[in-house]
Amino acid sequence: MIPLSSYLAVSSVLFVTGLIGVLIRRNFIIILMSVEIMLNAANLNLVAFSSYLDSMAGQIVALFIIAIAAGEAAVGLAIIIVVFRGRIATNVDQINLLKW
Amino acid sequence: MPFTFTMTPADVELLMPEILMTGLLSVILFLDFLFPRIEKTTLAWLSIAGMGGIFVLLADYFIEDRHGTLFREMYIVDPMAIFFKAFILGTTILVFLASMDYLKKVPVFRGEYYFLGLLAALGMMLMASVNDLLSMFITLEFSTFSFYILVAYLRDDAQSNEAGLKYFILGVFAAGLLAFGISLLYGETGSILFTDFAKMHAHLTPGLIIGFLLIFVALGFKVGAVPFHAWVPDIYQGAPTPVTAFLSIAPKAATFAILLRIFMATVGDIKGDWVWLVVGISAISMTYGNIVAIAQKNIKRLLAYSGIAQIGNVLIGLAAASKMGGDSVLFYFLTYLFANVGAFAVVIIFSNLTNSDALEDYDGLSRRSPLLAFALLIFFLSLAGVPPLAGFIGKLYVFAAAMNEGLVALVVIGGINIVISMYYYLVVIKRVYINMPKENTPIPVSFPMRLVLFTTVGGVLFLGIYPKAFIEISVAATNLFGRMI
Repeated sequence: MIPLSSYLAVSSVLFVTGLIGVLIRRNFIIILMSVEIMLNAANLNLVAFSSYLDSMAGQIVALFIIAIAAGEAAVGLAIIIVVFRGRIATNVDQINLLKW
Repeated sequence: MPFTFTMTPADVELLMPEILMTGLLSVILFLDFLFPRIEKTTLAWLSIAGMGGIFVLLADYFIEDRHGTLFREMYIVDPMAIFFKAFILGTTILVFLASMDYLKKVPVFRGEYYFLGLLAALGMMLMASVNDLLSMFITLEFSTFSFYILVAYLRDDAQSNEAGLKYFILGVFAAGLLAFGISLLYGETGSILFTDFAKMHAHLTPGLIIGFLLIFVALGFKVGAVPFHAWVPDIYQGAPTPVTAFLSIAPKAATFAILLRIFMATVGDIKGDWVWLVVGISAISMTYGNIVAIAQKNIKRLLAYSGIAQIGNVLIGLAAASKMGGDSVLFYFLTYLFANVGAFAVVIIFSNLTNSDALEDYDGLSRRSPLLAFALLIFFLSLAGVPPLAGFIGKLYVFAAAMNEGLVALVVIGGINIVISMYYYLVVIKRVYINMPKENTPIPVSFPMRLVLFTTVGGVLFLGIYPKAFIEISVAATNLFGRMI
């Protein structure tokens, strides 16, 4: 049996990967992907804890997070497409109308 | 483990405001689809009437002191939840009244605006009743999804699109942090219920600390406290102005309902371990917001930074971490609601005619519309905290709560900030009353807008002159509130 700590190590690596991806990548699609990686790190954590603690709550939370991540991608891609149509831009640096 | 799901009639009754709200927004959506030629303001009046009815129902629940839990304690109805639900409905009604004129300029999809507004309001009403980590995550995302679309609502306006995109990116980033924080808390405690955390008296392990910090950061994003404020000015400026008014108050109040529940009922026992964090964020938010606001040339950005500073003030009440602190947060939100929505209503009326939010265009407003100028004067003086207006009592209450807990330094910083904020509010007032206008066309104020202005001015004056009634409501709202220290 794989010990809990291995799951936690993988999920931490995933989470940090997503975090760094959001902070340093410039393309919106890739930022969105990085956020999905962060959410999936949380899912992995939840399912691992759920099996380790023998409690159902974690798995239920993970299911809801998956559903919400899907909705998030739908709304986000729609907004990205609107911006792309108006400005032909998918990079963070090109979106700079609003600043003081 | 078998899962049984039962709902007694009493449970349905507790959930009735949300059920009615769901019915209302379905009706609005179907009317819009079935009768494409329907006058959109009819939809607005219909939603306002419906929300008015639900507001009365909530007031009745509040007086009867209804309380209880649903769905295995995941969802709690107590006077504080009912207070915040009524607060959010009131805000939504004012925002819808203020939206009608603005939407006449939007070419397409005007009906969906009201549907999305109601959807966001429903999400925030659910947020007020959150009692576990799962419902916290779902309801937060529920209301924020509607706001992503509302912020990007002006499809052909590059600023609105950009604001929507920025809000979305930062919003989902916060959601990622929140989800990971939830998973860590669940792993450390084996439960997702706030009430179970309160019973545990666990010593702080690294997992618990990181989990709570991640959740705190995510909620800090939603209320726009420094250092998580980066989205606030851009989104305020880019979003359609009625949406900005909505965004500047309702989600913050709903998030504070969750913050109060987590920080006071759940980890209240160990407040020595977290008070310094809230104190620090409160002091930085006030100071940063007020100082940067001085440099602003756009009134929506000015209100954004003033909003950051106001959230710093509300956090003083949270830092006090006492029953009085909780009361003062509720009361402060009431005073902030009237002054803030009123100020945005003036901005909406002004930009409907002039298409401008630049501060220099406000020169000589008093000669073009004495009503607008007077309203703006009242709102800004209240935001700054001048007696005898609502903002003064709100600040006094928050400071008094902090003084009782011995947070003298924080109160001193708050006092200094009142002086700083006075400066930029008065600069705008000077433009409005003393400078000469560039053009003299009078500014018309339509009936729904008059209704908003009179309600908000009345609210600010009433809360300032006779605060007792509303202070009693705030105190009653937190009476039942869990294991408040």
